[in-house]
Amino acid sequence: MGDSETVVKTPIRVTRSSSSSTTTTTTTTPKQNSPQKPKPGSRSLKNTKASFSDYLLFPKPITLDQLYSSYPCRKAQIDELLHLIGPPNSPMKPIFIYGRPSSAKTSVLLHVFKHLNRPFVYSSCKSCYNPRLLFESVLNQVFFHGKQSTNNYASAKRCEKASDFMNFLREALVHTIATIRENQRPKGSKNSLNCGAGEMIYLIFDNVEMIRDWDSGLALVSVLFKMGDLLKMPELGLVFISSASLDSFYGNTGLMELVPVFFPSYTDEELYQIFMRGQPNPKLYSSFLGVVLKTLCRLTKRVDELSVALVPLFRKYCEPLSDLRVIPDEAMKRKLFSCLQPHIMPSLNQVFKVESGTIVETNKEKEKRKGILRKQGSGETVYEVDFQMSDSAKYLLISAFIASKNPATLDAALFDSTGGSDNRKRKRKSSVTSIEKKDQAAQEMLLKGPGTFPLERLLAIFQCITSVTDGPIEREQVEDGLTEEVGSCGLMSDVLLQLSTLCNANFICKGGSCPLEGSTRYRATIDEDMVMKIARSVNFPLAKYLYRR
Amino acid sequence: MAPSATTDWPSPSEIGDNALQPCFVLHKALPRKYEKRSKEFNSDEDESSYEKLRSEAFNLVWSRIETAIKDVLKHSTSHLFKELHNWVHESFLAIKSSATCSLSEVTRPYPLLVDNLCRQLFTAFVLTKNIEIVDDLLTFKELGVHLKSQGCHIVNLSSHEFSVKHGIAGCFRSLLRQLVTFASNTPDISILASWYSEEANYDKPIVVIIEDVEQCSSMVLAEFITLLSEWVVKIPVLMIMGVATTVDAPRKLLPSNALQHLQPRKFTLGSPVERLDAIIEAAFVKPFYGFNVGYKVALFLRNYFLRHDGTITSFVRALKIACMKHFSMEQLSFLCKGIIDEDSKVWEKTCQSLPEGLLKYAANISSIKRNNIDGNVGDALADGISELMRLRNNWSAVVMCLFEVGKYGKIQLLDIFCEALDPSLPNCKALKRCLEEGKDHRQPLRRDAILRDSESLNSREGTFIAQAVRKVRDLPSASLHQLLKFWARHTEEIAEVNHKVQALLSTFEVEVDGQVVKQEENGMKRNPVSQRLPNMEKDKSQVAHEKAAMLAISMIRDYMVPIESSPFHEIFCFKHVDVLQSALIGDPRKTIQTDLLRSHSYLQCSCCSASLTPSMHDTSILYNLAQEHGDLINVHDWYESYKAILVGSSTKSKAKQKQSPTPKKRKVTDEPNRIEEASIQYPFLLLVP
Repeated sequence: MGDSETVVKTPIRVTRSSSSSTTTTTTTTPKQNSPQKPKPGSRSLKNTKASFSDYLLFPKPITLDQLYSSYPCRKAQIDELLHLIGPPNSPMKPIFIYGRPSSAKTSVLLHVFKHLNRPFVYSSCKSCYNPRLLFESVLNQVFFHGKQSTNNYASAKRCEKASDFMNFLREALVHTIATIRENQRPKGSKNSLNCGAGEMIYLIFDNVEMIRDWDSGLALVSVLFKMGDLLKMPELGLVFISSASLDSFYGNTGLMELVPVFFPSYTDEELYQIFMRGQPNPKLYSSFLGVVLKTLCRLTKRVDELSVALVPLFRKYCEPLSDLRVIPDEAMKRKLFSCLQPHIMPSLNQVFKVESGTIVETNKEKEKRKGILRKQGSGETVYEVDFQMSDSAKYLLISAFIASKNPATLDAALFDSTGGSDNRKRKRKSSVTSIEKKDQAAQEMLLKGPGTFPLERLLAIFQCITSVTDGPIEREQVEDGLTEEVGSCGLMSDVLLQLSTLCNANFICKGGSCPLEGSTRYRATIDEDMVMKIARSVNFPLAKYLYRR
Repeated sequence: MAPSATTDWPSPSEIGDNALQPCFVLHKALPRKYEKRSKEFNSDEDESSYEKLRSEAFNLVWSRIETAIKDVLKHSTSHLFKELHNWVHESFLAIKSSATCSLSEVTRPYPLLVDNLCRQLFTAFVLTKNIEIVDDLLTFKELGVHLKSQGCHIVNLSSHEFSVKHGIAGCFRSLLRQLVTFASNTPDISILASWYSEEANYDKPIVVIIEDVEQCSSMVLAEFITLLSEWVVKIPVLMIMGVATTVDAPRKLLPSNALQHLQPRKFTLGSPVERLDAIIEAAFVKPFYGFNVGYKVALFLRNYFLRHDGTITSFVRALKIACMKHFSMEQLSFLCKGIIDEDSKVWEKTCQSLPEGLLKYAANISSIKRNNIDGNVGDALADGISELMRLRNNWSAVVMCLFEVGKYGKIQLLDIFCEALDPSLPNCKALKRCLEEGKDHRQPLRRDAILRDSESLNSREGTFIAQAVRKVRDLPSASLHQLLKFWARHTEEIAEVNHKVQALLSTFEVEVDGQVVKQEENGMKRNPVSQRLPNMEKDKSQVAHEKAAMLAISMIRDYMVPIESSPFHEIFCFKHVDVLQSALIGDPRKTIQTDLLRSHSYLQCSCCSASLTPSMHDTSILYNLAQEHGDLINVHDWYESYKAILVGSSTKSKAKQKQSPTPKKRKVTDEPNRIEEASIQYPFLLLVP
């Protein structure tokens, strides 16, 4: 016994300064009975019983007032959750929280647990993108296991099947609940904050809707929903968070007694309230929000999207101001509004704006934009393709665009009249029979978007185009026939290679194979402006070849 | 690696030259080096020792060119690297300032509970400006190394990792393998989090570089982005994505819920054309490395670049092949080594001490034949080469001057370079016209401008130099001043021109100063009208422009002598475009087909002749037969005729024992015949695709 005493004493000496730890607890929990201080070094001591506070509790609990004040527009939901979770040690039915993305489901729930200060296990199905990761993530937390370099970042248990998961979980939960109980007693007497902790442990599954996309995801979902029944442990509370409603998880889960909690989307006033929080100059921001929020809310009511969209607009709004602490009067508001107004509508279409990295470049760009505008006015446009592309790739892309845009019946008419001799596709019959039919087909095609075409058609058009335009291209080297030969040789050398390059650049996409012919079909996905630019860069009269109504 | 001799089927133009082909067939071990003009060589000893010299010279010259190219490329990317590093630094600070996250919180599975959570990934789109990614693979690797040296964690991912097949696990596995240096079979973000929370790794940005975003599977990439953005406060991940086409490409690729997690910034790499210009400048125009390309070869290289795939990589490869071919074909090419490194007297001696064969060869060089040499060939060679060097230096100075002009007018150095190499340049019509234009400069420039506009389409292709000269006239005064300064620097070695440039510069400086002062005064009074200067001053500045243009013209006329019109240029100048073309593009299919048609001429066995015989190779027979049938061939007919050749001859050799039965009725055939048929059918089936 003397040995064990010394063993006990040494850790006490070490931790004496940190807390008035009671020696009544078992020798294995000398450290970290205060949840407030999870030191980085302490995590290396794994699997000590008390580390559950590290894994399952928030470091700093908050009061109810703090909880309400941090989510001013979610009071009803907070109350409902508190009611459903209930007082300590009360078994609960599984809760299913749902609502649109970015409606504060996760953070409200986590804050509720922060307030309650009860042990919980959180796993997001977004971070854990397959069942195994989900299972192991839950188990790791229940086992107080951390992935570290010392354990080769391995999980506590290898678990791939749902049945294994249930077994491991039961085993672990029994163990954990025992630990919680053990911890409960001394703490209750000592720490007032831990009073309400109780003996429950809660499992939170976030982003449950993602599971539906996994292999046999629905089966897994139903297992998770039924988990309470399967494990038959009253100490276990289950909370599911999803952006899809319960109906979307098929009818078979309807049997489960999940209690739905709906988080409605924020209203305009609530959004206003949310965005007003923590602003350094509320008056200015309020006038700004008054201008833009209504318009933006027509598009989206998601807080995250709105906050992203608001930042650049506010910057624009403040541009005329020299001092951001100014309190705007009516006249100034009107002035600021008139400055901002032209930017609001464009910003609605611009979810994604790429800023330039260098100052020099931005200037250049501005110049360019101005230049383009000017040129558009004068009618003589000199567009440039601002990336390198070999000539054969350009022609190939043009021919792909023609093939996608024009109906196949038109090929013969187009390329025969212009003198393309190589076109072996003789479809003249159908093209001359009736113009009306053609019109109808063309209309249909416009509705369908860019059409698909087989490789053969692409190559035929490519050959026609290059044979037509060979003259002008080679004119610069007419003096020596040799290079002319070289040039055309280069054009034809690796068409298939160029095709794959274009596919890689997403200008042409490979469609599924045609069920009748069995060959791969392609589709040009490039937009017309770009093709026009490219055609202009090789002096190809593309407009002549495009079929228009 | 030099392509082996067998693949080089002589093109029709070469055949005349290669009448001596049969005698090198005996020299199988030697590649085509001695194909041309090898009759001058008598002693094997000399041959081998000079061959060694040549290969040494090649190694030396190529290594120099290569390092020059590498330096240029490195230089072109260095400022981008700096910018990116600044961006990484700024973004990292932005992430850190958005929320503080203690070390222990990093590993928690739940998100941080703070307001205004930053859920956006800082992303840099690096526009590579080339649809082919080959050139930039190395750039991204180097970028990784550079940022790593600045204290970032670097992950290089390519589109292969973002495949639908492996899904998000594939890219995470690769990410962890590079960061954690350990491959888990359950790669997930929690491992990354615990790795990042370790003392040594904490508090550094993690930069994920994706080279070719367009080729990634959009689904997987979107998933990857949303996942990382959830964790970005805990694990500060920055993305650098290479975009080959336009900035719009990511927007088209990714769904909007992934896009909203990106905080994009755009960076641009130099376009391949710019880089190519820099390479040309560094490797061919400025210094002389002992290797130059002729006009036709330069044109070919240019077309190869523009039409083939537009990558620097393939251009450099083509250049290397040209260089190799040159050193293997040109017997005196080893002289370049001495010219670069040794002083003139030493290599003059080398020239004089050349063996008889080589001297004879030198005397027969086509460029020297025109003006016959009397007396010592060695001396003439030494003189000729030093003259050549002088001409070349002048040439490069003028080309550099023109290139400086080209920078203002978006004229590529490559174009100017090609044109300046043209030996028929002085006779070029367009250029002459341009020079004449210069002569009667008293004519009002207005008309000139109108003319130019109407002509521009026609003249643009032919005369980049003429364009450059015109550009000199159109430059604004400030740019012209700048330009003249550059000219002064480039023409330092040509005293006469430099003198003129300096004189022009000094008069110009006075004028410009006056003008600037005037302009400022005007600007104070009436801003919008300040552009319209009084006529006199305008004329004055035009005089300066005219003078500069005249100077340019005289430089072009007097000093820009294309290397191909100077004696002994063959020693340094590679002109055999056909050789290069066959080596680069080749025409493997055509070669194989012609070879199949005339296999007897290669095999040279006694039994074969031009007609089809069964002793020929099966492939050859089949191909010959297919040719006889024209475009389409019925397989049955093909087989029939194939069989007819084999069987017909064998029966002939068996002294016509009996006619073989009609092959259609195989069932009727007797036993030995069937065996025979099987042995015929088997190779046939093997060969028919």
